[in-house]
Amino acid sequence: MQILNFLTPDILYDLARGPFVWASFVVFIAGCLIRTIRILSLTKKWEPTWNIPKPDKKDLSKIKKCPLARIKLSVFGTSPVTMVISVVFHLLIFVIPLFLLGHNILLQEETGISLFSFSQGATNVLTLIFLFCALFFFLRRILLARMRAISTCYDYIIFFIAIAPFLTGILAFYQPFNNYQTMIILHMLSGELMLIAIPFTKIFHMVFFFMGRFMLVGQHTLGRGTRTW
Amino acid sequence: MENLELDTTQVKKMLGKHKAKMKFYLGMCAHCSLCAESCFLFNSHDNDPKYMPSYKFINSLGTLYKKKGRIKQETVEEIKANIWERCALCTRCYCPFGIDIPSMIALARSIMRSQGVYPQYDEEKAHPLAE
Repeated sequence: MQILNFLTPDILYDLARGPFVWASFVVFIAGCLIRTIRILSLTKKWEPTWNIPKPDKKDLSKIKKCPLARIKLSVFGTSPVTMVISVVFHLLIFVIPLFLLGHNILLQEETGISLFSFSQGATNVLTLIFLFCALFFFLRRILLARMRAISTCYDYIIFFIAIAPFLTGILAFYQPFNNYQTMIILHMLSGELMLIAIPFTKIFHMVFFFMGRFMLVGQHTLGRGTRTW
Repeated sequence: MENLELDTTQVKKMLGKHKAKMKFYLGMCAHCSLCAESCFLFNSHDNDPKYMPSYKFINSLGTLYKKKGRIKQETVEEIKANIWERCALCTRCYCPFGIDIPSMIALARSIMRSQGVYPQYDEEKAHPLAE
């Protein structure tokens, strides 16, 4: 109990803004590196045992001429709305925190370097678009029978870990409940939780997606692939 | 079907042989259901979720890893339905993350076949077309 008394909002704010950020970045980077190395150690270089004929240039030009036909055959053709919302969601989950004015000011203060920043208004609009995409995924998970058939508590927990920093961030900005300090502390803690969760949970698909689609040889590899299990 | 007891030692041995890859695939599946339409059996069964590729591997190989081979008779029946009756192993299933779904169904089939669990064509409903 004494420890809890010690954790006043001011101390919690300082911890969340200082050491917790660096600790979560260390866990995130080290965890992602270790898991990536683990996959590399589980796979080996792939050498084709037969000669793969190079595609005919005429065929390639045909494909280039009708990209829509190729898109129609992919998941963009079977689930266009879900895929467009998914692409926007996944782009914004990187773009919003990286190019947020407040984050870049903190980065400038701490390290002396900063990235390009959107205006606060633009970031707020992007965050609302992101939360709309998240709402779409949430409704899809609870309303579609096919989603309910494979959904578990774990999926909902991961979903909330991913959107909590954005939800608390926008609530801290607009302060609808006049509780800026609570919201900003929750925002920092939830962001740190998300960073720590990435290497240990299925959010690691942010790395595995590129390895699975471009590196590991398989029927659906984009390109030829270089490694096999 | 007679009451079968699985040889958990053998099942665990077979699971262990492919553990790293399979547990990794099971862990990476985002449960997005985007693989559904790539299965012709899903499309031809009025989009029944039980025919979804992800449902089939989660409730067969996923269950075997989760329970470490210690499964009840009704689960054996469920796994049998998922890997044989609801899957033709045509290898047309598609995962946006590149998860190799056919390899997971094939491993579940090998394990269950080693335990004497396989389709018997004199059984009723042994084939999807018989339903």
